[in-house]
Amino acid sequence: MNENLFAPFITPTIMGITTLPIIMIFPCIILSTPKRWLPNRIQTLQIWLIRQITKQMLSMHNTRGRTWALMLMSLILFIASTNLLGLLPYSFTPTTQLAMNIGMAIPLWLATVIMGFRNKPKVSLAHFLPQGTPTPLIPMLIIIETISLFIQPLALAVRLTANITAGHLLIHLIGSATLALSSISMTVSTITFTILFLLTILELAVAMIQAYVFTLLVSLYLHDNS
Amino acid sequence: MVEALAIRISILAGPKSDSQYHFTGFKNYFNSYTLNGRKNYVLVTYRGIALLLPYFKARYKKTPAVKAK
Repeated sequence: MNENLFAPFITPTIMGITTLPIIMIFPCIILSTPKRWLPNRIQTLQIWLIRQITKQMLSMHNTRGRTWALMLMSLILFIASTNLLGLLPYSFTPTTQLAMNIGMAIPLWLATVIMGFRNKPKVSLAHFLPQGTPTPLIPMLIIIETISLFIQPLALAVRLTANITAGHLLIHLIGSATLALSSISMTVSTITFTILFLLTILELAVAMIQAYVFTLLVSLYLHDNS
Repeated sequence: MVEALAIRISILAGPKSDSQYHFTGFKNYFNSYTLNGRKNYVLVTYRGIALLLPYFKARYKKTPAVKAK
Protein backbone atom coordinates (compact mmCIF):
# COMPACT_ATOMS: atom_id res chain seq x y z
CA MET A 1 0.00 0.00 0.00
CA ASN A 2 2.71 2.47 0.95
CA GLU A 3 4.69 2.12 -2.26
CA ASN A 4 1.56 2.80 -4.33
CA LEU A 5 0.42 5.80 -2.33
CA PHE A 6 1.65 8.32 -4.89
CA ALA A 7 1.03 6.15 -7.94
CA PRO A 8 -2.23 8.00 -8.80
CA PHE A 9 -0.21 11.23 -9.14
CA ILE A 10 2.20 9.89 -11.76
CA THR A 11 1.26 11.07 -15.25
CA PRO A 12 0.04 8.07 -17.20
CA THR A 13 1.96 7.17 -20.35
CA ILE A 14 1.31 4.91 -23.32
CA MET A 15 4.50 3.41 -24.72
CA GLY A 16 6.50 6.24 -23.16
CA ILE A 17 4.31 9.02 -24.59
CA THR A 18 2.47 11.10 -22.01
CA THR A 19 -1.31 11.04 -22.22
CA LEU A 20 -1.70 14.34 -20.34
CA PRO A 21 -2.86 16.34 -23.42
CA ILE A 22 -5.62 13.79 -24.08
CA ILE A 23 -6.69 13.89 -20.42
CA MET A 24 -6.79 17.70 -20.46
CA ILE A 25 -8.86 17.80 -23.66
CA PHE A 26 -11.31 15.17 -22.33
CA PRO A 27 -13.62 17.65 -20.48
CA CYS A 28 -14.17 19.47 -23.80
CA ILE A 29 -15.69 16.27 -25.19
CA ILE A 30 -18.06 16.01 -22.22
CA LEU A 31 -19.07 19.67 -22.30
CA SER A 32 -20.60 19.82 -25.76
CA THR A 33 -21.68 23.01 -27.50
CA PRO A 34 -25.11 23.33 -29.12
CA LYS A 35 -25.06 22.72 -32.87
CA ARG A 36 -28.76 23.51 -33.45
CA TRP A 37 -30.99 26.44 -32.68
CA LEU A 38 -32.66 24.58 -29.79
CA PRO A 39 -30.09 22.74 -27.69
CA ASN A 40 -30.83 19.47 -25.93
CA ARG A 41 -31.50 19.18 -22.18
CA ILE A 42 -27.91 18.70 -21.10
CA GLN A 43 -26.74 21.65 -23.16
CA THR A 44 -29.60 23.79 -21.82
CA LEU A 45 -28.57 22.91 -18.29
CA GLN A 46 -24.94 23.66 -19.13
CA ILE A 47 -25.84 27.05 -20.65
CA TRP A 48 -27.99 27.90 -17.64
CA LEU A 49 -25.15 26.99 -15.26
CA ILE A 50 -22.60 29.04 -17.21
CA ARG A 51 -24.97 32.03 -17.27
CA GLN A 52 -25.50 31.84 -13.50
CA ILE A 53 -21.76 31.66 -12.83
CA THR A 54 -21.05 34.47 -15.31
CA LYS A 55 -23.69 36.74 -13.76
CA GLN A 56 -22.43 36.13 -10.24
CA MET A 57 -18.74 36.42 -10.99
CA LEU A 58 -18.71 39.32 -13.45
CA SER A 59 -21.23 41.58 -11.74
CA MET A 60 -18.46 43.50 -9.95
CA HIS A 61 -16.39 44.11 -13.10
CA ASN A 62 -16.38 47.12 -15.41
CA THR A 63 -16.47 46.89 -19.23
CA ARG A 64 -12.77 46.13 -19.49
CA GLY A 65 -12.94 43.39 -16.88
CA ARG A 66 -15.92 41.75 -18.57
CA THR A 67 -13.83 41.08 -21.68
CA TRP A 68 -12.30 38.33 -19.55
CA ALA A 69 -15.65 36.49 -19.27
CA LEU A 70 -14.73 33.74 -21.72
CA MET A 71 -11.36 33.12 -20.09
CA LEU A 72 -12.78 32.98 -16.56
CA MET A 73 -15.67 30.70 -17.50
CA SER A 74 -13.33 28.37 -19.40
CA LEU A 75 -11.05 28.30 -16.38
CA ILE A 76 -13.75 27.41 -13.86
CA LEU A 77 -15.29 24.78 -16.13
CA PHE A 78 -11.92 23.20 -16.87
CA ILE A 79 -10.80 23.02 -13.23
CA ALA A 80 -14.20 21.84 -11.96
CA SER A 81 -14.54 19.15 -14.62
CA THR A 82 -10.98 17.83 -14.20
CA ASN A 83 -11.36 17.81 -10.40
CA LEU A 84 -14.69 15.96 -10.56
CA LEU A 85 -13.47 13.47 -13.17
CA GLY A 86 -10.43 12.82 -10.98
CA LEU A 87 -12.66 11.48 -8.24
CA LEU A 88 -13.57 8.49 -10.38
CA PRO A 89 -11.66 5.32 -9.49
CA TYR A 90 -8.40 4.68 -11.36
CA SER A 91 -8.51 8.11 -13.00
CA PHE A 92 -5.79 10.72 -13.17
CA THR A 93 -6.32 14.32 -12.03
CA PRO A 94 -4.22 16.86 -13.92
CA THR A 95 -4.77 19.49 -11.22
CA THR A 96 -2.68 17.46 -8.77
CA GLN A 97 0.35 18.46 -10.83
CA LEU A 98 1.91 21.66 -9.46
CA ALA A 99 3.49 22.32 -12.85
CA MET A 100 0.10 22.52 -14.48
CA ASN A 101 -1.43 24.74 -11.82
CA ILE A 102 1.54 27.10 -11.92
CA GLY A 103 1.18 27.06 -15.70
CA MET A 104 -2.38 28.33 -15.24
CA ALA A 105 -1.76 30.71 -12.32
CA ILE A 106 1.32 32.65 -13.42
CA PRO A 107 0.15 33.71 -16.93
CA LEU A 108 -3.28 34.76 -15.63
CA TRP A 109 -1.85 36.70 -12.67
CA LEU A 110 0.86 38.29 -14.81
CA ALA A 111 -1.72 39.31 -17.41
CA THR A 112 -3.76 41.12 -14.74
CA VAL A 113 -0.67 42.87 -13.35
CA ILE A 114 0.56 43.95 -16.78
CA MET A 115 -2.95 45.16 -17.64
CA GLY A 116 -3.02 47.19 -14.43
CA PHE A 117 0.37 48.79 -15.03
CA ARG A 118 -0.46 49.53 -18.67
CA ASN A 119 -3.88 51.10 -18.16
CA LYS A 120 -3.67 52.58 -14.67
CA PRO A 121 0.00 52.81 -13.62
CA LYS A 122 -0.66 55.35 -10.84
CA VAL A 123 -3.36 53.24 -9.17
CA SER A 124 -1.32 50.05 -9.60
CA LEU A 125 1.70 51.63 -7.89
CA ALA A 126 -0.45 53.19 -5.18
CA HIS A 127 -1.83 49.73 -4.32
CA PHE A 128 1.54 48.84 -2.83
CA LEU A 129 0.82 51.22 0.06
CA PRO A 130 -2.45 50.76 1.96
CA GLN A 131 -4.30 54.00 2.62
CA GLY A 132 -3.75 55.56 6.02
CA THR A 133 -0.48 53.79 6.81
CA PRO A 134 1.52 55.49 9.57
CA THR A 135 4.70 57.09 8.22
CA PRO A 136 7.29 54.95 10.11
CA LEU A 137 5.74 51.75 8.71
CA ILE A 138 5.63 52.87 5.07
CA PRO A 139 8.91 51.38 3.70
CA MET A 140 8.37 48.06 5.45
CA LEU A 141 4.76 47.82 4.29
CA ILE A 142 5.69 48.57 0.68
CA ILE A 143 8.22 45.73 0.76
CA ILE A 144 5.66 43.41 2.37
CA GLU A 145 3.01 44.31 -0.22
CA THR A 146 5.50 43.70 -3.03
CA ILE A 147 6.36 40.28 -1.65
CA SER A 148 2.66 39.47 -1.22
CA LEU A 149 2.07 40.42 -4.85
CA PHE A 150 4.71 37.97 -6.07
CA ILE A 151 3.41 35.24 -3.80
CA GLN A 152 -0.13 35.48 -5.25
CA PRO A 153 0.40 33.12 -8.24
CA LEU A 154 2.32 30.60 -6.12
CA ALA A 155 -0.45 30.61 -3.52
CA LEU A 156 -3.06 30.12 -6.24
CA ALA A 157 -1.25 27.11 -7.68
CA VAL A 158 -0.21 25.50 -4.39
CA ARG A 159 -3.70 25.94 -2.89
CA LEU A 160 -5.31 23.98 -5.72
CA THR A 161 -2.57 21.33 -5.84
CA ALA A 162 -2.49 20.76 -2.09
CA ASN A 163 -6.27 20.56 -1.66
CA ILE A 164 -6.82 18.09 -4.48
CA THR A 165 -3.73 15.99 -3.67
CA ALA A 166 -4.57 15.82 0.04
CA GLY A 167 -8.13 14.78 -0.70
CA HIS A 168 -7.05 12.03 -3.06
CA LEU A 169 -4.46 10.77 -0.58
CA LEU A 170 -7.03 10.67 2.23
CA ILE A 171 -9.49 8.75 0.08
CA HIS A 172 -6.74 6.29 -0.85
CA LEU A 173 -5.62 5.82 2.77
CA ILE A 174 -9.07 5.46 4.28
CA GLY A 175 -10.15 3.15 1.44
CA SER A 176 -7.10 0.95 2.06
CA ALA A 177 -7.81 1.01 5.79
CA THR A 178 -11.45 -0.03 5.20
CA LEU A 179 -10.29 -2.97 3.10
CA ALA A 180 -7.62 -4.01 5.60
CA LEU A 181 -9.98 -3.74 8.57
CA SER A 182 -12.73 -5.77 6.88
CA SER A 183 -10.84 -9.02 7.65
CA ILE A 184 -10.16 -7.93 11.26
CA SER A 185 -13.34 -6.29 12.51
CA MET A 186 -16.46 -5.65 10.44
CA THR A 187 -17.75 -3.00 12.86
CA VAL A 188 -14.63 -0.88 12.62
CA SER A 189 -14.54 -1.45 8.88
CA THR A 190 -18.14 -0.21 8.59
CA ILE A 191 -17.30 2.91 10.60
CA THR A 192 -14.28 3.53 8.36
CA PHE A 193 -16.45 3.02 5.30
CA THR A 194 -18.91 5.61 6.62
CA ILE A 195 -16.01 8.03 7.07
CA LEU A 196 -14.90 7.24 3.51
CA PHE A 197 -18.40 7.96 2.21
CA LEU A 198 -18.55 11.30 4.03
CA LEU A 199 -15.05 12.15 2.84
CA THR A 200 -16.02 11.45 -0.76
CA ILE A 201 -18.94 13.86 -0.42
CA LEU A 202 -16.53 16.42 1.04
CA GLU A 203 -14.11 15.88 -1.84
CA LEU A 204 -16.93 16.46 -4.34
CA ALA A 205 -17.58 19.79 -2.67
CA VAL A 206 -13.87 20.63 -2.46
CA ALA A 207 -13.45 19.87 -6.17
CA MET A 208 -16.06 22.46 -7.08
CA ILE A 209 -15.11 24.96 -4.40
CA GLN A 210 -11.44 24.95 -5.39
CA ALA A 211 -12.38 25.65 -9.00
CA TYR A 212 -14.56 28.54 -7.81
CA VAL A 213 -11.87 29.90 -5.46
CA PHE A 214 -9.17 29.79 -8.16
CA THR A 215 -11.36 31.63 -10.64
CA LEU A 216 -12.67 34.08 -8.06
CA LEU A 217 -9.16 35.05 -7.00
CA VAL A 218 -8.08 35.59 -10.62
CA SER A 219 -11.24 37.66 -11.02
CA LEU A 220 -10.33 39.70 -7.92
CA TYR A 221 -6.81 40.35 -9.20
CA LEU A 222 -8.39 41.46 -12.48
CA HIS A 223 -10.82 43.75 -10.63
CA ASP A 224 -7.94 45.38 -8.74
CA ASN A 225 -6.12 46.06 -12.00
CA SER A 226 -8.91 47.06 -14.38
CA MET B 1 -4.03 67.65 15.41
CA VAL B 2 -7.61 68.59 14.50
CA GLU B 3 -6.73 68.12 10.85
CA ALA B 4 -5.29 64.67 11.55
CA LEU B 5 -8.46 63.71 13.43
CA ALA B 6 -10.63 64.95 10.56
CA ILE B 7 -8.57 62.88 8.14
CA ARG B 8 -8.97 59.77 10.33
CA ILE B 9 -12.73 60.25 10.52
CA SER B 10 -12.93 60.64 6.74
CA ILE B 11 -10.90 57.44 6.33
CA LEU B 12 -13.37 55.57 8.54
CA ALA B 13 -16.28 57.09 6.63
CA GLY B 14 -14.69 56.01 3.37
CA PRO B 15 -12.64 58.19 1.03
CA LYS B 16 -14.47 59.48 -2.00
CA SER B 17 -11.62 61.05 -3.96
CA ASP B 18 -8.23 62.69 -3.59
CA SER B 19 -9.77 66.15 -3.82
CA GLN B 20 -11.09 65.94 -0.25
CA TYR B 21 -7.53 65.93 1.11
CA HIS B 22 -5.74 69.27 1.40
CA PHE B 23 -2.05 68.84 2.11
CA THR B 24 0.71 71.42 1.84
CA GLY B 25 4.46 71.26 1.35
CA PHE B 26 6.13 67.86 1.67
CA LYS B 27 2.85 66.17 2.60
CA ASN B 28 1.35 67.31 -0.70
CA TYR B 29 3.73 64.99 -2.56
CA PHE B 30 4.33 62.28 0.03
CA ASN B 31 1.39 61.05 2.07
CA SER B 32 -0.37 57.74 2.56
CA TYR B 33 -3.88 59.03 1.66
CA THR B 34 -3.90 60.33 -1.90
CA LEU B 35 -3.03 58.27 -4.98
CA ASN B 36 -0.14 60.55 -5.92
CA GLY B 37 1.24 60.55 -2.38
CA ARG B 38 1.17 56.77 -2.16
CA LYS B 39 2.63 56.40 -5.64
CA ASN B 40 5.52 58.74 -4.78
CA TYR B 41 6.28 56.87 -1.56
CA VAL B 42 6.35 53.56 -3.48
CA LEU B 43 8.66 54.97 -6.17
CA VAL B 44 11.02 56.49 -3.59
CA THR B 45 11.18 53.19 -1.69
CA TYR B 46 12.00 51.23 -4.84
CA ARG B 47 14.62 53.77 -5.92
CA GLY B 48 16.13 53.71 -2.44
CA ILE B 49 16.45 49.90 -2.60
CA ALA B 50 17.92 50.17 -6.12
CA LEU B 51 20.56 52.62 -4.82
CA LEU B 52 21.34 50.56 -1.72
CA LEU B 53 22.15 47.41 -3.70
CA PRO B 54 25.19 48.80 -5.61
CA TYR B 55 26.31 50.50 -2.38
CA PHE B 56 26.49 47.19 -0.55
CA LYS B 57 28.03 45.53 -3.58
CA ALA B 58 30.78 48.16 -3.75
CA ARG B 59 31.31 47.96 0.00
CA TYR B 60 32.23 44.29 -0.12
CA LYS B 61 34.29 44.57 -3.27
CA LYS B 62 37.89 43.53 -2.61
CA THR B 63 40.53 46.24 -3.09
CA PRO B 64 43.72 45.48 -5.23
CA ALA B 65 45.94 45.67 -2.11
CA VAL B 66 43.89 42.95 -0.40
CA LYS B 67 44.03 40.78 -3.56
CA ALA B 68 47.86 41.10 -3.70
CA LYS B 69 48.06 39.71 -0.13
